[in-house]
Amino acid sequence: MSERDAILSRLRDALAQPDRRFPPADPDPLTDATRMTVTKAEGDAPALAHRFGQELTALHGSYEVVETPTEARLTLLRRVTDWMEQETAAQKGAVIKTGQERNVLAWAPDALPVGGLDAAFGDMGLTLVAPSDLTGKEGRESIRSIRYGISGVEAAFAAAGSLLVRTGAGMSRAASLLPYYHAALVPFSRLYPTAEDWLAEQRQAGALVDLLRTHANLTLITGPSKSADIEMNLTLGVHGPKFLHVILFRDG
Amino acid sequence: MPTAPINLHAPYKERIHDALHNKNLKTVLNRTVGRMSASRVAAMGAVDGEQLRRQVRQMKEYVLRNLPDLLEQFEANVEANGGRVHWAQDAAAANQILLDLARRHAVQKIVKSKSMVTEEIRLNDALEGAGVKVVETDLGEYIIQLAGEPPSHIVAPAAHKRIEDIAAIMQEKLDMPPTLDAEVMCSAARASLRREFLSADMGVSGCNFAIAETGTVCIATNEGNGRMVASLPRVYVAVMGIEKLVPTVEDAFLQLQALSRSSTGQQFTVYLSMTSGPRQPQDVDGPEEFHVVLLDNGRSEMLARGYGEALMCIRCGACLNVCPVYREIGGHAYGSTYSGPIGSVISPMLAIEASEAEKLPHASSLCGACRDACPVMIDLPRLLLDLRSHYVQQGVPPWFERQAMQGFLKVMQSRKLYETGGKMGSLGSNLLASFNGGAITFMPPPFSAWTKTRHFPPLARKSFRELWAERMERRKSISGPTSDAKRKPGEG
Repeated sequence: MSERDAILSRLRDALAQPDRRFPPADPDPLTDATRMTVTKAEGDAPALAHRFGQELTALHGSYEVVETPTEARLTLLRRVTDWMEQETAAQKGAVIKTGQERNVLAWAPDALPVGGLDAAFGDMGLTLVAPSDLTGKEGRESIRSIRYGISGVEAAFAAAGSLLVRTGAGMSRAASLLPYYHAALVPFSRLYPTAEDWLAEQRQAGALVDLLRTHANLTLITGPSKSADIEMNLTLGVHGPKFLHVILFRDG
Repeated sequence: MPTAPINLHAPYKERIHDALHNKNLKTVLNRTVGRMSASRVAAMGAVDGEQLRRQVRQMKEYVLRNLPDLLEQFEANVEANGGRVHWAQDAAAANQILLDLARRHAVQKIVKSKSMVTEEIRLNDALEGAGVKVVETDLGEYIIQLAGEPPSHIVAPAAHKRIEDIAAIMQEKLDMPPTLDAEVMCSAARASLRREFLSADMGVSGCNFAIAETGTVCIATNEGNGRMVASLPRVYVAVMGIEKLVPTVEDAFLQLQALSRSSTGQQFTVYLSMTSGPRQPQDVDGPEEFHVVLLDNGRSEMLARGYGEALMCIRCGACLNVCPVYREIGGHAYGSTYSGPIGSVISPMLAIEASEAEKLPHASSLCGACRDACPVMIDLPRLLLDLRSHYVQQGVPPWFERQAMQGFLKVMQSRKLYETGGKMGSLGSNLLASFNGGAITFMPPPFSAWTKTRHFPPLARKSFRELWAERMERRKSISGPTSDAKRKPGEG
């Protein structure tokens, strides 16, 4: 008998014993009707955007809410240049030049919810790097020292200050993971009060199962990377970004 | 002086003795474990925590009742998504699967995110024995890997190390300049581990839960190492116990919230990485291959023996944080991968290396704090009692203890023996105490275990029955024999 069949038949035998104290004979699964929503958020889009921001701020992230995609573009540009100044100011002594100081790792232009970023960053002497293949050594080296990352989101959840990102063409995992600074663009149309609301919408549209199965990875991001492994001391930026800034804006 | 590691292979009593006499261990447990517990109380209190516990329990009961079908559904979905599922009945089979994968892909270095199940099967030893370099990437796990120790807590592997100890290890192993600044220590680890991530050939993780309806493995981390492990190397392998399934995506989000709130007091962990398959042609990054190893290692046996309730555990560590025993001795004194109340239940039943694991069910005062803290409401005290009585039936306790219990049983079954015994005990103990100012300060073994640390009070001179009889006599003489009979039932 294969390992698989041995395990499954042992489980089936165990569950077939009538006098087992556990598990109960016929427990009901949770359903959409019975499953609870753990935390709630209410209000119109701007109210939800600020709720999102409050939650994220409590987690040591930061946020801005703006009215238009154009404003979002300028806000993003200012944020990245501010970060660069902050980096330069913090440098002490001799600094190793990587040649990637003015590069920003980003999703491909058509995967981002705001257009014209390439030109706007180019005007400031910055280069948006949107790799299409990071699996090889060469691709990795080309982005290794980049300190800033820009991504969009699949969805964002106000009650928890969470972002959901997925894999796909032009949407690197690296942009929201490898750099020290991560800025995410969230249009109001992708902002939901809670994760449960987004799940319900996807489920009702019959899209939830396929969404997970047709994408290699989905990741929920709630705040900057952190650890308390050294005697419960909070440290930020352990492996992922130390700084997470989310720009929420009204879209079409 | 650093916190001296406890010898995990020492006898049960010696391990506990060493832990109790380790002052630095006491310091660090006071600094860490209590705070984790307070975070959980606040986070569960901020929402309808009781309903959350009831619902996660209901969901896990459903999973275990339907486990074979859900496992088959999960397997079919992973394979349809382009991943591979492997089954392993025991640790040796699981380690062999990982070794074969490492050989086939000419793997020289593996990066791992923190995983209890791979500790359970001693995966690192098996891989290192075959010449593969294994790097733990969770900050706490990395620290104890540098120190050459196993984890001492389900979610905080270095919970037994003071910051001073950690700094000393990192100075020695990473050439870090002397510091007690956690930020600086963290940066040193980040730089060192980033190099490992970018050059590793294979990533290995455990699994917090896996979604049957989509074939998705979920790992929750706060640092982001789980995402790195699942994204950067060419091959990604997740090892999971067969009990880790949830039926639907919504159930996964519910369990994540119970897990985050119960372990660290967060709404969600910082990262939840949900992997359904290997990189797709249009993807920018991600592993070329995705494998899942489903491990039994005694779990189906637990279900068959009636201890299936413990399989609902979501490994949040809440029962460790509230346990008055764990808070005194830390995790290593349990001598097993899994410590605390849940470890005392599952360690004797899983096929894992643990010295004298059959004694662990006694490492509990049965106070019930673990049951009240558990997000799945596992009745841990009852499971511990069941295990104790199982070992009694197996004849595990020493001869003297079994005789004493038999004697106790006889005495309790006979009023005459009970009363005579009580009388003799009272006379004897009061006589002994009269030599020592009213308390017994010395008794011969095995009772010396008590008198070594505290005095033994003598038994009361008169039993309750004697006092009661005297009281009734007094009453009769005061109010006459008829007063009681006049009262209606329920009065007075």
